[in-house]
Amino acid sequence: MTTAPEAWDGAAVASRRMWWRRVRELAHISPIVAVLIGLLLVFLLPPTIYLIKASLYTTKPNGTFDQFTLRYYAELFGNPRFFQNLWNSCVYAVGSAAVALSLGTLQAWIVERTNTPLRHYVFLISIISLGIPSVLYTVSFLLILGKAGPVNQLLMWLADSPVPVINVYSMWGMIVVEGIDFVPLTFLMLSAVFHSNDASFEEASMMSGAGIVETFRRITLKLATPGLLALLILIFVRAFESFETPALVGRPGRINVLSTDIFESLRNSIPPNYGQAGAFSMVLMAIVIGLLAWYNRLSRDAAKYQTITGKGFRPRAMDLGKWRFLTAGLLILMFIVIIGLPVGIVIYASLLPYYGGVTLASLKLLTLSNYEQVFASGSFKDAIGNTLILGAATASLVCPLTAICAWLSARRYRGAWMLDQLATMPLVFPAIVMGVAFLYVFLQLPFGLYGSLLSVILVSMVRYLPYGMRSSYAGVLQLHRELEEASGISGARQATTFLRIVLPLIAPSLITCWLFVFLLSVKAVAAQILLVGPRSQVIAVTLFDLWNNGQVTELAATGVTWMALMTVVSTIFYLIARRYGLSIR
Amino acid sequence: MLSVSGLFKQYISHDGTPGGGVFGADFTLKEGELFTLLGPSGCGKTTTLRSIAGLETPQKGRITLGSRDLFNSQSGVNVPMYDRDIGMVFQSYAIWPHMTVYENAAYPLKVGRKKKYSGAEVERKVKEALDMVGLGAFIQRPSTQLSGGQQQRLALARAFTREPDLLLLDEPLSNLDAQLREQMRSELKRLQKETGVTAIYVTHDQSEALAISDRIAVMNEGKIVQLGQPKDIYNRPTSEFVAHFIGRTNLIHGEMAHDAVAEATETVATPLGALRCFFPGTAKARKDIAIVVRPEHIRIRKAGAALEDGDNRLTGRLKAETYLGEIVEYVVDVAGKEFLVRTPFVQPIGPGDAVTLSFAPERTIALLEA
Repeated sequence: MTTAPEAWDGAAVASRRMWWRRVRELAHISPIVAVLIGLLLVFLLPPTIYLIKASLYTTKPNGTFDQFTLRYYAELFGNPRFFQNLWNSCVYAVGSAAVALSLGTLQAWIVERTNTPLRHYVFLISIISLGIPSVLYTVSFLLILGKAGPVNQLLMWLADSPVPVINVYSMWGMIVVEGIDFVPLTFLMLSAVFHSNDASFEEASMMSGAGIVETFRRITLKLATPGLLALLILIFVRAFESFETPALVGRPGRINVLSTDIFESLRNSIPPNYGQAGAFSMVLMAIVIGLLAWYNRLSRDAAKYQTITGKGFRPRAMDLGKWRFLTAGLLILMFIVIIGLPVGIVIYASLLPYYGGVTLASLKLLTLSNYEQVFASGSFKDAIGNTLILGAATASLVCPLTAICAWLSARRYRGAWMLDQLATMPLVFPAIVMGVAFLYVFLQLPFGLYGSLLSVILVSMVRYLPYGMRSSYAGVLQLHRELEEASGISGARQATTFLRIVLPLIAPSLITCWLFVFLLSVKAVAAQILLVGPRSQVIAVTLFDLWNNGQVTELAATGVTWMALMTVVSTIFYLIARRYGLSIR
Repeated sequence: MLSVSGLFKQYISHDGTPGGGVFGADFTLKEGELFTLLGPSGCGKTTTLRSIAGLETPQKGRITLGSRDLFNSQSGVNVPMYDRDIGMVFQSYAIWPHMTVYENAAYPLKVGRKKKYSGAEVERKVKEALDMVGLGAFIQRPSTQLSGGQQQRLALARAFTREPDLLLLDEPLSNLDAQLREQMRSELKRLQKETGVTAIYVTHDQSEALAISDRIAVMNEGKIVQLGQPKDIYNRPTSEFVAHFIGRTNLIHGEMAHDAVAEATETVATPLGALRCFFPGTAKARKDIAIVVRPEHIRIRKAGAALEDGDNRLTGRLKAETYLGEIVEYVVDVAGKEFLVRTPFVQPIGPGDAVTLSFAPERTIALLEA
């Protein structure tokens, strides 16, 4: 089980010869594979085609395409603001990747490679933090670092300044918030990188007389370099396409990036500029495809460095002596910054009648009225219900589908490599772009899908296919092929073998896949924000709207309630994964 | 019984270049025999076994069990594995971890469609099979609580429950530790003889093959290079490959002036002198012929000691001596060529001493194949 499908080496196409063999293989494809390929194409082709068309055709007010034009691209490249925003995107992505990677590396090394006390809790905490909606996370940092936040209050007092000392609505604010938001994910992936390097390399280094710092620098870090580099690109891509932080932090400070440009051309221009959004999306997608291709090449190199062998492989902790209390302190500090403060401030804000920073005076005002208001509101209940349905439906569609695809592909059924490729394809769509692409499709469909919960579920399903695929694949790979062959030899047909042997054995990884997809799909905003209608409000989008309306305390109360609910889900996820010895990385 | 002819299966590796496989294997099993496919990894033995099981589809050839074609590339017959009535023990044992010992062994009786068994029948057969392998006391255990050896026994019991016509064993002992391996080896042979099931055994371990088999087919690079009883394979190898793969051996190249008759001795001229060699088959006179002598078939004496008449004789100098407990190994330099000698009898000689080696002509085997 892993949190990043992009980390997948996948079936890399080695040579043209192999391609030909694979294409020829499609002529003798097995029927179930053909059906599944068809199914995936139904979901993947229309948004792709409509997205391309939208950037090349003018759109009538009712959403149908009109005339061919290159105008949108010309406008895009003719506008100096486009290049300014592209540059912003890059700076922002590099910065947050650097923040996430340096904190994540330190954390992963402490947890995987040392005997620091408390290190085992980092996993649990990282997984729980997966359940916090990005919007809420970003908002919590705005509350901490904003004009009336405690940090500014402290600095104003220290510097004796009448005006706020720092302005979070800036590039560095975006970088810090996004970077810290990515730390748990970075940690989970990096711990896999560190975990897969044999500790005996480090022991050999120590035996040769190198100290801990020198060993970390010359051996641990060197061995992990390809993995780190691949991860750097990955976080870069994710930050590059991310929407929540730029929308909440960047936009108020007039710092735009490509993903917010797309949003604005649809939301803030009347009528919506579909063509411009399409052209923006195409550019963003092209960049992401390029980066992912680079990433794939690097992660293949990283695989070479992974030294998991059967015998003698034992990741072992390094004894830090009394320094381990320092590293434990670091872990606690990181916990406070990454989880403690953000969650604390949101809980605090949820208990106030209005948010005005952290003051003694406001402590007297503490009240539960926000919760009463939230629980009494019908729209909140609707949103909770919708979100639970959304998460459950997405996970229930993604997991069985990817389990079958992963199994067929791992067992080399004829043509199943295509399932693998198709199910991974949605990765090239940045979340907001996927929202745009499906928006075009739903606008043109006659059944009135637009604005319905079903439409949000469908987009979610496609968006999280790669994540489900990655997780199912890991489960299937753990299954020794001979277990199935023994069943066949015993006289069982394929369906019997799948039901009585394969399914029971991959059940634990299916359950974790389900919970994982559930957690991811309920916290996202970007893919859904353009699609939800009054009937299909979901929590993450509700939070986004509440912030934009300035309803900070209601937002906080809603957020805390939701976090509590998700903490239960993610704890179950963690316990199941641990119970069955599934790697959570 | 089982007959395999012209079996051909070539793998294509990832980059599209042709890889290993089996390139034309022919053999026929006798009722109730234990037949071994022996060879180094990648020789095609496992491919052959998996083709018989139906786990691989060969490209050419024919596999017949009894009077029924299991696979025939000409008529297009390819019986799916679940209809082949074959029992198989896998290298990893493939014991299903989510089932108990009983459920594992009962599975073939429950899922097979050809014959339906009543509940009582299933229970009786499973008990019988588990008792036979000595797991009767573990019947309700979760299978994850079994040791390696017990899993191995369970795998055997599972293969036996359906009373298959043919039992396939894919390196079944390779995951056990050395002591347990020897014990299981003899037990396996006992079970096979008791049940009378015809079995094919795949291994890369030559001593295992010699100990357990009725007949051995030695494979190399996708072909069967020699087929025969263990003692023939050992004592009368037909090729350098077999001579080297099975046991250790001394190899000499020579030249023969006359044609040789089968099962007779003939003189071969070698750089070390003329040697009388045994020819397992007829051979034409040729420039280059290889001769092998097993290290344990050579007698070593201090130079000048009395020796039997008629034996081949070489003189040399002792280079090294290794005492291994039950035997002693000597390395002797004979005119620049090293000879290995193994004997249980320690000789009163030391490095640097002149020694005489002698070996009987019938132990000096000419290799008919190059």
